[in-house]
Amino acid sequence: MATEQSVDLVDDETVGLFTKAVLLAALTAALAQISIPLPGTLPPFSLQPFGMFFAGLLLGPLWGGVALLLYVLVGIAGAPVFSNGAAGIGYVIAGKGTGGFLVGFLVGAVVAGAIAHRSIAPKPVADLSVPVQVVALVAAVAIVYAIGIPWLAVVTGLPFARAAATMAPFIPFDLLKLGIAIAIVQGGYLAGR
Amino acid sequence: MLSYRPGSTVAHRLDPRSKLLFQFGLAIAAVAHPTLPWLVGTTAFALCALAAARLSPLAVLRSYRIVLAVLALAPFVAGVALGPPWFRVDPALRSALHVGRILPVLLVSAAYLTSTPVRDTRAAVQRLIPGKPGQILGIGMALVVRLFPLVLADVREVRDAIHARGGEARPLWDRARLLAVRSLERTLDRSDRLSVALRARCFAWNPTLPPLAFDRRDYPVLAVGIALAVSPLVSV
Repeated sequence: MATEQSVDLVDDETVGLFTKAVLLAALTAALAQISIPLPGTLPPFSLQPFGMFFAGLLLGPLWGGVALLLYVLVGIAGAPVFSNGAAGIGYVIAGKGTGGFLVGFLVGAVVAGAIAHRSIAPKPVADLSVPVQVVALVAAVAIVYAIGIPWLAVVTGLPFARAAATMAPFIPFDLLKLGIAIAIVQGGYLAGR
Repeated sequence: MLSYRPGSTVAHRLDPRSKLLFQFGLAIAAVAHPTLPWLVGTTAFALCALAAARLSPLAVLRSYRIVLAVLALAPFVAGVALGPPWFRVDPALRSALHVGRILPVLLVSAAYLTSTPVRDTRAAVQRLIPGKPGQILGIGMALVVRLFPLVLADVREVRDAIHARGGEARPLWDRARLLAVRSLERTLDRSDRLSVALRARCFAWNPTLPPLAFDRRDYPVLAVGIALAVSPLVSV
């Protein structure tokens, strides 16, 4: 006996947001493999936070969160998308003690999107004022460290203050990345997105 | 680098849902209590998982050598003091125990990665999360896996083009800006093309789900996974 099932098409707007979320997840994964070497004993300049920044600014809290959730899920499933081609739940929980920063990126994208757009549906990036962008991205960076540092302390058994001191050298670099992200938006590169 | 290897081991034949639950259960049990007996118990379960996937524990530890080397620094950082006696043993031991409980999580994760293709995890996510969220995440995972190599090639191409134009002489912020903006432009162009392609192919909320089926051998694994997940509650 033939069964009939109607096809429930996804509306065009949702398809557009979905494909942006998919591609920003792939971009976050790609940027995790690329870093700019710095002189001396400074850590390499990782580009991974840009994935979180642009997911929040371009897609808002829901689809920005979906983008970073897809990134984490694909890594748990075994695709080599975490830094240096790592994968697996073991890396998310432990990593090099830095697994909390992956979860922080996910929550950070949601928070940045919520502050920037103040609704589930994202507005055009050009409509976001600079102060709103700054507050949204600073909150995202703060969330990443608020989750990442206690996570590091729990995984390694380090006292909280010592875990925070270990990660402190990275904060100026993250603030520089934040400034670059805002400069990109202000440069009009994302106009019409 | 650990990745899926085709095989016919017990671990390969299990349903990804039971393997996921076992993995999460063991992770919860492992991090619940930083004590030596707890560490020994969870490591024994993790070694069973490795045996089921026919993986050598030494080979797995070699794969995780960089992660383990970084984690091994934690006890030294914890023990260092800024005055006499300069190194305190108790905080270092406490940190070593904390780091040690991560070991079974890494081992069971290796067993999962080598015995489960990404498409099976995608199918498990699509079935475990009901409704539209499950569809979005399942299809999204499949697309991210497909597109990640292309986007990575785009980003590397942009980086090489910046180098070819003497970009290494530019200030750090300018190189990062150029790399981010050009990569983002290419990514968003790909997103537009994917959007058109999905609409042209009638992207629907009710596609055919990938096949998965529980077998008799999955139920003991499920039961152990649940028992491990609730074990921290029982032991308190």
